[in-house]
Amino acid sequence: MRRYSPRVFRFASKFFRQRSLVEEAAQEVFLKAFTELGSFEGRGSMEGWLTRITTNTCLNLLRSAKRRPELTVSDLTEDETNWLDNKLTAAATEQHQSSERSLVASDLAARVLQTLTPDDQLVITLIDGEEASVKDVVKMTGWSESKVKVHAFRARRRMRKAIEKLLIREPGWNKSLASSRSSE
Amino acid sequence: MRNEHIINLIENTPLASLSHDDLVAIQAHTEQCSDCLRAFQAAQISVFLLKERAAEQLEPSPFFNTRVLAALRERQTANQSWTWSPLWRAAGALASSMVATVATLAVLTFIIPGNQVASGPQISSLSNSYSAEEVLLNQSEQLSEPASDAQVLNTIYEEEAVR
Repeated sequence: MRRYSPRVFRFASKFFRQRSLVEEAAQEVFLKAFTELGSFEGRGSMEGWLTRITTNTCLNLLRSAKRRPELTVSDLTEDETNWLDNKLTAAATEQHQSSERSLVASDLAARVLQTLTPDDQLVITLIDGEEASVKDVVKMTGWSESKVKVHAFRARRRMRKAIEKLLIREPGWNKSLASSRSSE
Repeated sequence: MRNEHIINLIENTPLASLSHDDLVAIQAHTEQCSDCLRAFQAAQISVFLLKERAAEQLEPSPFFNTRVLAALRERQTANQSWTWSPLWRAAGALASSMVATVATLAVLTFIIPGNQVASGPQISSLSNSYSAEEVLLNQSEQLSEPASDAQVLNTIYEEEAVR
């Protein structure tokens, strides 16, 4: 357990921001692993087996969590609004990255992700966030390749639309985009 | 590609996996199409947010292993008690039925015969209220055999002698 717990912990923390939830997920993973150790046939690696248990456990926890129906501009904190404004002018992308800004971005990401279904959250986090391949996700979840692709497509669309909705609040957003592009 | 909307392209493929040609085509198209420009910008922000989110990682606390082992022990204990519970329930039912049987037998053995004993003196006390003549006369009625005068006299004198 000492050997694998950091890995399980890091994997679970991709899906939950609260430490208590990450610990709950990691604990459940090891309890399942201990009780189902007999079912591990040793064909694959122990890491792969644990990753699969972790994925399913995180998915179950995401499913039991309350899902936000929609994220509106009024839900954003001042920091998040500023972050989006800065992002539009390309100030926050590569240039002025600070840990504080990363925290705001991470928080905003978690809030946008909460508007997606648990399955979509899982797939988009792994593929677009972690740069995992579709085949990797197939291995982790046990789903078919087409199911993973459909979830990824749907999640990207939903996430993009949610962000567009937040960006569109400013009538001059197009102007700021144009200026950011001309400066590049 | 210049006249084709790029929304499908950015939804089907992760931005990180787009080829150089794809990116050039997107660049060319978004210069003319504001809808696709907005979609592309939102997609870029989306990927950036996801990467920031993925970069945030937590490490296990030093007590995590101890806590998991304690939870495992607790779960095993709960499972064991769950396994034994039907047996305990069956044993409880058996014990209670045995107690009920013993109680019934005790009632039948001690209380009901006691009632019979108690009814004995009542009968005798009732019979004491009758005189010897009445008893003899009643007996003679029941037996339908008339008692002789000598028997009657003997009984009366014996009674008086006892008093």
